[in-house]
Amino acid sequence: MKLLAWLVIGAPLLGASAPPILGAQGKPLTVTGVRGVTFGAVFPGVPRVISRTDPANSGQFDIKGPNRSRVLLSFVLPLTMTGPAGAQLPLSFGSSDAGYSQSQAIGSQIGFDPKQPFTAALANNGRGSVFVGGTANPTANQRAGAYTATITLTVTVLP
Amino acid sequence: MRNSKLSLAVLALVVFGASAVQAQTNSASITATASVQTPINVIGFQALNFNNVFPGVNKPVAATDLTNAGRFDVTGQVSTPVTLSFTLPATLSSGANTMPIDTYTGVHALNSAQTGGVAFNPVTGANPTLSGTGGLFVWIGARVVPATNQAQGVYTASVTMTVVY
Repeated sequence: MKLLAWLVIGAPLLGASAPPILGAQGKPLTVTGVRGVTFGAVFPGVPRVISRTDPANSGQFDIKGPNRSRVLLSFVLPLTMTGPAGAQLPLSFGSSDAGYSQSQAIGSQIGFDPKQPFTAALANNGRGSVFVGGTANPTANQRAGAYTATITLTVTVLP
Repeated sequence: MRNSKLSLAVLALVVFGASAVQAQTNSASITATASVQTPINVIGFQALNFNNVFPGVNKPVAATDLTNAGRFDVTGQVSTPVTLSFTLPATLSSGANTMPIDTYTGVHALNSAQTGGVAFNPVTGANPTLSGTGGLFVWIGARVVPATNQAQGVYTASVTMTVVY
């Protein structure tokens, strides 16, 4: 009996140091990039705005974690997209260009500023989604070609 | 013995709970993409030329006159709509003398022979689509109305066309 009791203690200690870290309900925190932000065809000198509610072109991240837990959402946003021969295409993000949806529905978001950390709550099933839009601002003499950049979302489960 | 087992079970829960409240962090990335289209280029290929004009005799140049109508050549992204707008002078000038222009006409086409050309009013502009090779040709005609006592001289003015996607 004594041996069994010590095994019960040892198992959680081992788990605490092995990834993935488990939450209070034993669910690991996962963040998945579902869809990129697609500005599509952009014309020199003509800004192109993608709304966070655009179901085809907005970016989307899905989050899974401990049920009902509070999470801190933080973006790393690019200032430009990089194109042919290193050409840069300026990007900007407005104060409501990101949105959080506990139900993971694009039509049911709470907007927030992607340039600032935002606290949200995961749903009863431990899920949530983050949507992001933005504006591409090509110059009048923007070099033609394909441009890309990376948007990173970091999610932290708050104690 | 029973008491001892109970104590150990409580300890296990406390240790587990302590590890669960540690901050958990995870990240993911997505890509932002854009495809920048070919910039628009416009050149003034040919001047609008009224040639000899006589006092009191109106002189029109049709937009379909391939020799004398003004012509702009446009290049840009293939098969893409553009908007044409114009700055049109109301008069030609020769020093302090002026000569009125009372009408303007326009034609745009996908080739320099004006085949399949589309007439438009330069005052209100037009919204054509660039060709499959990204080209567009625009001709401007007009009519001058010289006075019966129009002073002799060479009269000029500038017509400007602006093209945007």
